[in-house]
Amino acid sequence: MSTSAPAPAPARHPRSARSQLHRIAPLLLLALGVGALLMARDMGLGEFTAPGPGLWPAIVAALLTGTAVVLLFLDPAEDYEPWTAGTARIVAGLAGLALFVVLFQTIGFVVPAFLLLLAWLRFLGGESWRMALVLAVAGAVVLHLVFVVALGVPFPAGPVDQLLGA
Amino acid sequence: MTVGIFDGIAQGFAVALDPINLLYVFAGVLIGTVIGVLPGLGPTATIALLLPLTYTIEPATAVILLAGIYYGSMYGGTITSVLLRLPGEAASVVTTFDGYQMAKQGRAGPALGIAAVGSFVGGILSVLGLMLLAPPLADLAVSFGPPEYVALTALGILLVTYLGSGSPLKSLSMAALGLLLATMGQDPITGTTRFTFGSVALFDGLDFVAVAMGLFGVGEILHSLERTEKVQAVTKKIKHIWPTRKDFKDSSGAIARGSVLGFVIGVLPGGGGVISSLASYALEKRRAKDPSRFGKGAIEGVAGPETANNASSTSAFIPLLTLGIPANVVLALIFGALLVQGITPGPQLITEEPEIFWGVIASMVVGNVMLLALNIPLVGVFVQLLRVRAGILAAFALLVTMAGVFSVSNDSFDMWVVLVFGVIGWLMKKTGFEPGPLVLAFVLGEIMERAFRQSMLLSGGSLGIFVTRPLSGGLLAVMAAVVILSLVMARRRRAAFRQVDPEDEFGREDGTGPVEGEPGLSAEPATGRNARHTSDSTDSDAASTPGER
Repeated sequence: MSTSAPAPAPARHPRSARSQLHRIAPLLLLALGVGALLMARDMGLGEFTAPGPGLWPAIVAALLTGTAVVLLFLDPAEDYEPWTAGTARIVAGLAGLALFVVLFQTIGFVVPAFLLLLAWLRFLGGESWRMALVLAVAGAVVLHLVFVVALGVPFPAGPVDQLLGA
Repeated sequence: MTVGIFDGIAQGFAVALDPINLLYVFAGVLIGTVIGVLPGLGPTATIALLLPLTYTIEPATAVILLAGIYYGSMYGGTITSVLLRLPGEAASVVTTFDGYQMAKQGRAGPALGIAAVGSFVGGILSVLGLMLLAPPLADLAVSFGPPEYVALTALGILLVTYLGSGSPLKSLSMAALGLLLATMGQDPITGTTRFTFGSVALFDGLDFVAVAMGLFGVGEILHSLERTEKVQAVTKKIKHIWPTRKDFKDSSGAIARGSVLGFVIGVLPGGGGVISSLASYALEKRRAKDPSRFGKGAIEGVAGPETANNASSTSAFIPLLTLGIPANVVLALIFGALLVQGITPGPQLITEEPEIFWGVIASMVVGNVMLLALNIPLVGVFVQLLRVRAGILAAFALLVTMAGVFSVSNDSFDMWVVLVFGVIGWLMKKTGFEPGPLVLAFVLGEIMERAFRQSMLLSGGSLGIFVTRPLSGGLLAVMAAVVILSLVMARRRRAAFRQVDPEDEFGREDGTGPVEGEPGLSAEPATGRNARHTSDSTDSDAASTPGER
């Protein structure tokens, strides 16, 4: 019942995966709310006549905490979508996106953009190598032209930018 | 006053007919139609993705562009609803009921035609209402003090949480989270840094554009990518798009009622889109001599809701332009775009920035004319857009998002914010938490806090100030009414949404049946919820045609 393994049949809404796991979300919110309440108290609540910096955050955090507590008991489990094989692909895609940001900061836009598009189109989009290559090259160049040349956005300089004379 | 309105309208058209603005209206409605057609990229995601672009253009032009995308998507969403039973955006779900049936009977052309005509009529009538209603409302709102703003923002957030499509409690929780996130950075009055964790990048708080792009742009793209639906290409040629005289006669009443209904619902915070089209469908069905025709290709069932959703997407600008309160999430994004430009929408907008106020209104007339002209002859072209594969679209949209958010303040920190909020947005979608209330609350958070603290200073620390002033007290009374009504409404709304897609409901039961047996008897935490679930299922079983209410 409480395992996170995907249901054997590709059912659209396997109920088994979510009997207890779904409580994680309200628990996270609860932790966030309580944490914020404590931090707001340290900032200084002040009085209603002279509100301190922490007063408003404390009010809001109390609301968050309150709703999270109720959700812990009343949250309809049917709202939760199951984790599917597609989920793993999304996580891979996100890792790729993070890698893109890291590379972007060091070697500029064009090369990481090309790599991101190529990997995404080939592996996540399921395009053929040829299609992915063509689109990735075209996409990286066109976006470079739009952002750097037309809009004048100062992307970090990289090896290709020197070649393009930007 | 009337003279002022006519002057305003004249000034508005001067702004809207400026060649650059004409170009942006055209771009807006075209982009709107395109993304309305493309499943997986809705108006919220698109507007979020295009926010960085608005920095580089004039404020009036920016709002003209974003507004065009919004109502343009209402037209575009119809096309896929009718032809493929795939609503391109939420508001056109209702159109699938009768629109798709019409298409199956070979009447796709008239369905699309009457939807375009209805949307046009609804849009234009709504603009007229906006012109007449907005200035007096703004006059009234000028007298609002801080307590009224606290009440108004609270009411706006509350209504969005209650009228949205998710569970009200979860939405309220997200609104609280949005308000909390808005407090990051410097205290607006004392300048103390809050929740910055010693990071200099957080001193100015989280950037609204990055948060919105992450939650809506990246989050929605990821979420739609997970559901790998195959979209079949439409090869059949669509004929007879211009409706016949009989079609017009059959649907004229529905269009007239849809315009009024859509306008009224759009003005209410939390209205717009889905609610107005659902309400119009219900009204038409109740009025019909033979309600059994509905769900089997009744043209009124297309004309009414399509008119209503476009009328409501126009009138939803009234609270934003006069009170500074966004009525729904799309308008929260437009609100944010204006804030970024250094303009706080509110009662003063009409006198201080008349070119924005009247220019946007006039551009809607121009945009609706363009949409009618685009839609009737070019439906066949738009349909071809469905050939674009979701994977390609997602890859490019994500890359543009990343480059775009960097361009806002040339800071790669914002890219990480987008990424983090993208993950959060995707997880929220997976767990049934709506990102809408979070973003709306995030936008309103600072205004609300400032107004609250000013009220406290005004009243000498007494919370009574919110109740004793007639306007804020009245607004709070409305809020109380909403909370009470919502207990009744929640039930009915759940039933309505359940009926929106009966197939999905059946699919769910089929999927779960073998695993756990009776869906209503599964081990869920709340027994009340179980009872509700079963009663809803029986409801939709009994009423086999969708949209009973």
